Amino acid sequence: MNVASVVADVRGGMIPAHIYNDPEIFELERDRLFARSWVFLAHESEIPEPGDYVVRRVLADSFIVARDESGVVRVMFNMCLHRGMQVCRAEMGNASHFRCPYHAWTYRNDGTLTGLPFHAEAYGGEDGFPRLDQALLPAPSMDIHNGLIFISLDPGAPPLRDYLGDFAFYLDFYTRQSAAGIELRGPQRWRIKANWKIGAENFAGDSYHTPYTHASVVDIGLFREPKASKRKEGALYVAGPGAGTTYKLPPGGDFAGQLRYVGYPDAMILAMERSWSAAQRALIQDSGFMVSAATLFPNLSLVHNWPQVDASGTVVPFISLRLWQPVSERETEVLSWFAVDAGAPEEFKRNSYKAYLMCFGSSGMFEQDDVENWVSITEMAAGTMARRLRLNSRMGLSSEGKPIKAPHAAFSGPGVAYQGFGEFNQRHWLSQWADRVDAAP
Amino acid sequence: MTARKPLPYTDPAHQAAHQFLVEEAALLDAADYAGWLDLLCEDIRYVMPVRVTTARGAGFDTMPGMSHFDEDMYALRKRVQRLATDHAWTEDPPSRTRHFITNIRTFPNGGAEFLVESALLLFRSRGDTREADLVSAGRTDLLRETGAGLRLARREIHVDESVLRTQNLAVFL
Repeated sequence: MNVASVVADVRGGMIPAHIYNDPEIFELERDRLFARSWVFLAHESEIPEPGDYVVRRVLADSFIVARDESGVVRVMFNMCLHRGMQVCRAEMGNASHFRCPYHAWTYRNDGTLTGLPFHAEAYGGEDGFPRLDQALLPAPSMDIHNGLIFISLDPGAPPLRDYLGDFAFYLDFYTRQSAAGIELRGPQRWRIKANWKIGAENFAGDSYHTPYTHASVVDIGLFREPKASKRKEGALYVAGPGAGTTYKLPPGGDFAGQLRYVGYPDAMILAMERSWSAAQRALIQDSGFMVSAATLFPNLSLVHNWPQVDASGTVVPFISLRLWQPVSERETEVLSWFAVDAGAPEEFKRNSYKAYLMCFGSSGMFEQDDVENWVSITEMAAGTMARRLRLNSRMGLSSEGKPIKAPHAAFSGPGVAYQGFGEFNQRHWLSQWADRVDAAP
Repeated sequence: MTARKPLPYTDPAHQAAHQFLVEEAALLDAADYAGWLDLLCEDIRYVMPVRVTTARGAGFDTMPGMSHFDEDMYALRKRVQRLATDHAWTEDPPSRTRHFITNIRTFPNGGAEFLVESALLLFRSRGDTREADLVSAGRTDLLRETGAGLRLARREIHVDESVLRTQNLAVFL
């Protein structure tokens, strides 16, 4: 495989189809992309108490994400320093220590090695094996933003906030609706026989698929807006390492009115007014856009939508975060969380959870049809002919590579936004992908 | 948990419950979802918790506050309506499914209600190139005797994997 030619095609918006099912590409992604990127692992609300932990992966590397006894979040490589056993084999729980079942080496929940059986007899004490200052390998880089815990396998990763750049503006709509922040529930986890990139690209900006892929949820009246083609009135934005889609709100609404329209109760709207900057509020009030799906490169996606949750037509919004966790070039584990403002009224939380379950996640009516498409693409991408086909991902560009329309002038958020359909966002995601897989190891 | 004794297999109530579950499985495998909805009580609660791997003694093995399904009649009707549209791609072409139901135990629950436990193995095959999926689960059902026969008032599906190996739950369990 000629990597230079693959990335040149990708940068030109013509995607060699085999990149969606190619073991050589997957190796490059593992070594050059996932070994260097900030990757989301967990949210602080999943481990609220000292000793709480969850176990999460970056590809094949397992990490314990724990809150230690002093309340500090720690991310530790889940491999015993002695013989390499997985120190914690549960997915979640509460523990002051992790004890390796092989030889009983024991680590405090901040990673420090505290127990080593027969230290004197077996090793001759500190002289043979200096036990002090030994600890499970910490994640090379770890940082937290809005409670979202990210790690990077690159010890020289830039500060997370610098990496997020202008996307942090949009992240707040999902993860900082009040000073209380969000709480995450889940994740649901399931495996799909699809390449991980397809979902990430889709959430970044594929408003074009909604009218047809998701025609069924419109057919059944799950949404108040009767036509999925309403999506073409939305704006697509690219900001920092992220990109996302929005819906156009009805004309004339003020800030509170627009949030009421998507189903937020007044108490939450007041909190949002205090939590968000004037520029963030202006995106909703003056530009008239509400965030929907988005992807933060490489593999964290977010979604916000507002279906009808009962027969009387009550509209309730929900937020979901999801991780496209690569298993191989042809398989992805999806981790899908329901997220809700921690300060929201209980009734809202209940209804928002219901809205989430109906629309997204392992049983969600949107997600079901998405995955069918993505599995099919992955299957098709495996063969010889797929190596001869370049998929056209140039929507919104002229033959000279210029945008066919001007950026949307009334879009008040940072970055660049275009109203209507286009593959600007997917190309933005893919250009970051190309930069990573093209970089020397 | 207190030791409970199931009804003898010769008990007509057990036999009726057994037959209900087998007939229900036949409707699901025939994708007769409208017929399936008719077997549900209006106050149905249909729940499938997310299972998690926890240490023995942790005291829980389901994810707090999160399920794969947590449905009322409105949500189930919407799902069935969707599958009946011309645009539910994930089941068009349809999966070939087989709901294997076994290990059925029936417990009286007072009045006209019975708690029925069963084991379910769902075989799901899509297309002609993909490997088939298996979903194994235990179910606890609340069956209610109504004037029209037994109806399902509550189902809790205790799936046996923490990470599902099927592309979605566009099927009922």
